[in-house]
Amino acid sequence: MRFHPHCRIRLLTGLVLILGSAGQLALASSYRPASDSEILEHLPNRPFGPSPAQDRALRELVATRPDQLDLALHLARIEVERARVSSDPRSLGQAQALLSPWWDEVRPPVPVLLLRATIRQRSHEFAPARSDLLQAVEREPDNVQAWLILANIEQVTGQLDAAAESCAHLQEITTPLIALSCTAALDGIRGRAGEAHEDLDSALRRSSERDQGDLRNWMLTLQAELAERLGRLDNAERMYRQSLSADPDDTYTIAAYSDFLLDAARPKEVVELIAADTPVDTLLLRRAQAAHQLRSADATSIIADLEARFAASRERGDRVHLREEARYRLELANDPAGALELAQANWRVQKEPLDARILLECAIAAGEPKAATDVIEWIRSTHLESPAIAKLVIKAERG
Amino acid sequence: MNIFKGNLLRALLAMLFLVSASAHAHKPSDSYLRLHVDGNRVSGQWDIALRDLDLALGLDRNSDNAIDWGEVRTRRDEINRYALDRLDVSSAGVRCALTVGDHLVDHHTDGAYAVLMLDGHCQASISNLDVSYSLLFDLDAQHRGLLRLERGAESTAVATAIFPKERATQRFDLNGASRWASLRGFISDGVRHIAIGYDHILFLIALLLPAVLRRRDRRWVAVDSFRPAFWNVAAMVTAFTIAHSITLSLATLGVVNLPSRWVEAAIALSVLLTALDNVVAFLPRRRWLVAFAFGLLHGFGFASVLRDLALPRTELALSLFGFNVGVEIGQLILVVVLIPIAFLLRERRLYSRYLLNGGSIVIALFATAWLIERSFDLKFMPL
Repeated sequence: MRFHPHCRIRLLTGLVLILGSAGQLALASSYRPASDSEILEHLPNRPFGPSPAQDRALRELVATRPDQLDLALHLARIEVERARVSSDPRSLGQAQALLSPWWDEVRPPVPVLLLRATIRQRSHEFAPARSDLLQAVEREPDNVQAWLILANIEQVTGQLDAAAESCAHLQEITTPLIALSCTAALDGIRGRAGEAHEDLDSALRRSSERDQGDLRNWMLTLQAELAERLGRLDNAERMYRQSLSADPDDTYTIAAYSDFLLDAARPKEVVELIAADTPVDTLLLRRAQAAHQLRSADATSIIADLEARFAASRERGDRVHLREEARYRLELANDPAGALELAQANWRVQKEPLDARILLECAIAAGEPKAATDVIEWIRSTHLESPAIAKLVIKAERG
Repeated sequence: MNIFKGNLLRALLAMLFLVSASAHAHKPSDSYLRLHVDGNRVSGQWDIALRDLDLALGLDRNSDNAIDWGEVRTRRDEINRYALDRLDVSSAGVRCALTVGDHLVDHHTDGAYAVLMLDGHCQASISNLDVSYSLLFDLDAQHRGLLRLERGAESTAVATAIFPKERATQRFDLNGASRWASLRGFISDGVRHIAIGYDHILFLIALLLPAVLRRRDRRWVAVDSFRPAFWNVAAMVTAFTIAHSITLSLATLGVVNLPSRWVEAAIALSVLLTALDNVVAFLPRRRWLVAFAFGLLHGFGFASVLRDLALPRTELALSLFGFNVGVEIGQLILVVVLIPIAFLLRERRLYSRYLLNGGSIVIALFATAWLIERSFDLKFMPL
């Protein structure tokens, strides 16, 4: 019954959201198109893999002959790769469907285990993904891919000692460059960012652009992130740009570079980097923050669009974008208490620097610095280097 | 004329859509199923993404990587068969016959959807509904069906449910039980609101304290028997109830809308005035008039609580009724506790001097604090 000061802000944002989505609501009513030639939907581009017609034929073959493991694996790998390139989760569901004859088995063939783990990882089901991989490396101790994904999951979920062991296994079974990609990422969050940066630097100098294109780009982005956390901003920017010029569509790098630009109060460049109608939620979040910082005319509609996407995700019971939704609630919806709840739920699942940062920011904004105790302890124990995070820790500890 | 109107509207909508260039999100596949049950009839609509229908049936016949209305319209029977084969609605173990009438188009966050208008009937009046859903699971294992189930002429929401592959069959109870349960929920919301709404409680106490007394030459004297006290209380409570029911309904139905901060401040003022009037009379002698006038205000206050509960529009009538009944029950409990004690103590000096005057002054102090807090948007009171 009482009137909280926050309510007014919330009311206002609510109103803005309602007004912003009014246009969409009007459209939300069904209609009958005027003519047969009216285009209703554009299908996603398929830069690789079989054509839609071939795809259907092959799928039918898999469905009628569930013993066609090789064909199912082949098609599922294409879908997983499509999902990676386009960030479209529908492809993951289709890959899973292709593997359905083996999906529920306790000990499916190792290639199925790897794909199942990858699909589960992308859906943030980290624990079952990890147990799939532990089974895979037990059965095939020399499986490089299995160790790599395992190390990555362990790092993302904050099991850093386990991640270090997984990286160590890689040293013995693969090329130094791949092994380095594992250890450098881990060192970067364990207080050895400087060493990791140097190691990457010399490795990248030795490797040519032609070999291992994807891996090289990934390492460039990693190096940019390390440089950023070490406060070497010019160097970070150069690396981000180098990585993007090699692969301008890489969602992860675009998101990381956009965060770099937003922190540097350069929202205009984010607007140039990300289209206002990007289908990728993680990118739309950055685009909305940039529009918000610029107070540009399209900010309201972008924010309303983002809210609609989070609502659609909640409606189906998804909990994949907790980190992004926390950031949205904090920065764009003026709801620090709601943001804190999401950031805490996210921290229970993911423990990367971005997750630590959003939790600290939410705890401070919501006036509940105690909520950051766990994350501060984690930062201390890992010796994570980052000026931005260090500042937040001091702020949270002052209360 | 009508056709022209329709076209114009559609053209406007199409333009709006282009202008807002609403981005199509990447999202896992969902279909949106709304089922409406009335007697033995089941109707509704089923929104299925064109992308998903294309995956299943290959809608893009001319392979231009786009789906036009012609490619949907001409495949209508095939789409209907495909969809209906994958939705099984039954009641009491007997499958209900479903048909698809019209096809329309709609947009969700991730693109265009075919809207299948469903109609059908079950053998007898439906009390339990079993829904088996298996659309697309064979092609997209992360697909989900999102069901919204409604009943009756007012489309009361019965349930919302998510159908993932692992829970493809679910049962829904359409009995009055669910309706009664939600009514009970609203009633207890109303009671709880009175119990924690200290401003309403203090207002009622300030209003009721003098009910066992009457004024003679500017002084309070005890009433002779229970009868006048009873009628005093009955008149005030009735007036208050009628008044706040009127404004609660008007505000909840959206007829009148007042800024809640000023309503809250005015409620504090009403408590203050009522309490002061007990010490120095200045309000109308007929207390039921006071109860009525201030009751109008308190109704707006109740409405903002009801709004905060974020009710589905379909349950508005039920919630309004239930909440109001709850508020009444809360009030009556207060009356039943307060009035007999007041009646027994009415002839003692303690009552008029300490309880009535002292109590009213304490209430007035609280009300003043609330008034300042709410007028200036501050927060210092613990309550």
